Amino acid sequence: MSNEDNIKQQLIEKFSALSDKIIVKRARRIFAEVSLADFPQVFDFAIKKLNFSILTAITGLDEGTVFGVIYHLSTENGIMLNLHTTTPRDNPLINTVTNYFPAADAYERELVDLLGIPVEGLPQGNRYPLPDSWPANQYPLRKDWKGQMPVNKEESK
Amino acid sequence: MALIKKIVNWARRKSPWILHFNSGACNACDIELVASLTPRYDVERFGIQIKGSPRHADILVCTGPVTMQTKERLIRIYEQMAEPKFVIAVGTCACSGGVFKNCYGVGGGIDSAIPVSLYIPGCPASPNAIIDGVVKLLSSLEEKTPVKAVEAEVL
Amino acid sequence: MSNYDFIVPIGPQHPALKEPETFLLMMSGEKIKGMNVRLGYNHRGIEKACEGQTYIQDLYLIERVCGICSHSHASCFAQAVEEIAGLELPKRALYIRTLIGELERIHSHLLWLGVAGHEIGFDTLLMYTWRDREIVMDILALLTGNRVNYSINTIGGVRRDITTEQIPQILKAIDTLEERTKYYAKVATEDTTITARLSGIGLLSHDNVLKLGVVGPTARASGVKRDVRKDDPYAAYGEIDFNVITDDHCDVYGRTLVRVGELMESYKIIRQVLAKLPEGPITVKAPRKIPVGQAVSRYEAPRGEDLHYVKSNGTDKPDRVKVRAPTLANVQAVAEMLKDRYLADMPIVVAAIDPCFSCTDRMTSISTADKDDKTFMSWPKLRTYSIEWYSRQGVDFSDLNKKFKAPGI
Repeated sequence: MSNEDNIKQQLIEKFSALSDKIIVKRARRIFAEVSLADFPQVFDFAIKKLNFSILTAITGLDEGTVFGVIYHLSTENGIMLNLHTTTPRDNPLINTVTNYFPAADAYERELVDLLGIPVEGLPQGNRYPLPDSWPANQYPLRKDWKGQMPVNKEESK
Repeated sequence: MALIKKIVNWARRKSPWILHFNSGACNACDIELVASLTPRYDVERFGIQIKGSPRHADILVCTGPVTMQTKERLIRIYEQMAEPKFVIAVGTCACSGGVFKNCYGVGGGIDSAIPVSLYIPGCPASPNAIIDGVVKLLSSLEEKTPVKAVEAEVL
Repeated sequence: MSNYDFIVPIGPQHPALKEPETFLLMMSGEKIKGMNVRLGYNHRGIEKACEGQTYIQDLYLIERVCGICSHSHASCFAQAVEEIAGLELPKRALYIRTLIGELERIHSHLLWLGVAGHEIGFDTLLMYTWRDREIVMDILALLTGNRVNYSINTIGGVRRDITTEQIPQILKAIDTLEERTKYYAKVATEDTTITARLSGIGLLSHDNVLKLGVVGPTARASGVKRDVRKDDPYAAYGEIDFNVITDDHCDVYGRTLVRVGELMESYKIIRQVLAKLPEGPITVKAPRKIPVGQAVSRYEAPRGEDLHYVKSNGTDKPDRVKVRAPTLANVQAVAEMLKDRYLADMPIVVAAIDPCFSCTDRMTSISTADKDDKTFMSWPKLRTYSIEWYSRQGVDFSDLNKKFKAPGI
């Protein structure tokens, strides 16, 4: 059995809800759908028991009725586990993972700034990547955000 | 007074001091700008020196489109420079916004914030084009001030 | 962070680093007690723009995320799209991508050597390495038509082929560069001024690399053997024999050695690529509409691991493109490296992670005091301060600047 299939099996054994939610796309690429409620335990298990010691990135997506958040984990030898979870669009909220990965700070701030997903437990700090002058409640990566911040000649001259 | 002006202009032409400002570029133009200082291109033989402070600079060399965050700083730097001052927009992004024109973080080229004396297109502008542009600007100083916007050849 | 006397701001205009960003350093005497980083000055909104353009148009946009590692970004993106579309690229295309990728690594590391030299006051190194770098720029222009932003990629392969006449030219250039690099390696390891200046600075332990998720040469200089070309092979790397260069110094000196070592490996890789270059087409037809799917692509850019995530929705435009560039992973470690160190260390420590804020997207501010006294220190002033400070400790490059002579002048 390949390493990837082995990992898939261990996840399913521990979390039966994942049994039809894990796909091994190819070598070194596993994608899994996890409910927000189950996420903390699955995340913890993947890191502590399955050797996913690296968090390479966090991607936020606008998926219509929900916001998707994908945690791109990796082992030392290059196997990736991409954990996709969702939070409702009308009341989004996720928990920080900076307690596991201090460097997740920047990735989580992107979710806050660009999609408007609040992150519980995120330590105090500067916003990223939008400027301080960016107006409130404008989340560029949301699908319904079509605006462009004008830097027009009238203003500057 | 005319004599003083001629001397100042001569000094400026012979050894213009440049301030480089990256207002949100991808760095390609910036490294081509630095490359133009290195031995193969050696723009310093024209007496050009890169300085760190706006108050000492004659020419503001800008790369990149104007992002929201840098716009205010760009304008402030321009205002800190003493007259007469010139602005060179290096690269297509600095000229017009380039590929980033429709991005939300970007306003447009340098001229959406401050007046530009010289446009050097290119993605990135090659050191040859940069030198050509700077020489064109310097030669036009011999004739008159202020400088009308001229365009360098893309080489 | 409350045990500091004053803060020094270094504003977002850095002729040295060429990129705007802001760091806020909390100082006590000459020592740095804490650091606050404000990024975002280069944020242009590329990810959003990608959603409104076709995949091919996005290739040109993504390439311009960063001008120094443009091929890395473009290849990483193309790989993700090709994976979703289930395309199998012809081998020749993979080899050409690898060739250009290694040429890019060479130009980037030589660029870095020059910048590092400049930061410590060894300007002659800047002039020599950038002069040598022109050899690589010429080869890149010969092969791709441009010195920077090569646009060699398309979805499904590469856009230009290599001719048999070009191969000996590339090999000759590599031979020259290898000779010069050997000289730089010798100077870096034997010159006492350089070793004194770079050793013990920017310390980052092996454990901190793991904890903070650091990538690239910065991680490898702390003994962490992480390189996407080996861990998650892409392009032609699975068929090429090369070493991952690591070092145990854990400091800026180590990062210098790693980059010089990687230059030597790049020459080795390029020779293999050219010797083994398979015949065949350079592209496979790619559909305009990419089927529904998602992929994560990783690439070892000169600065470290670049990661792209692409989600497609069956149309000719992507649904989501996410770019995680290497500098974002590394910049957070800078605070750790500067803790309890001298202000004079700042320029080279920041330069040593080979920062590309353009990739990250994304200013230093050391401000004094608890009052409103804001003495802004510009980066060139900080650099001069640093060079003078170290000069007082006995580290002086004026002599080396005079007698440095790289071969082949």
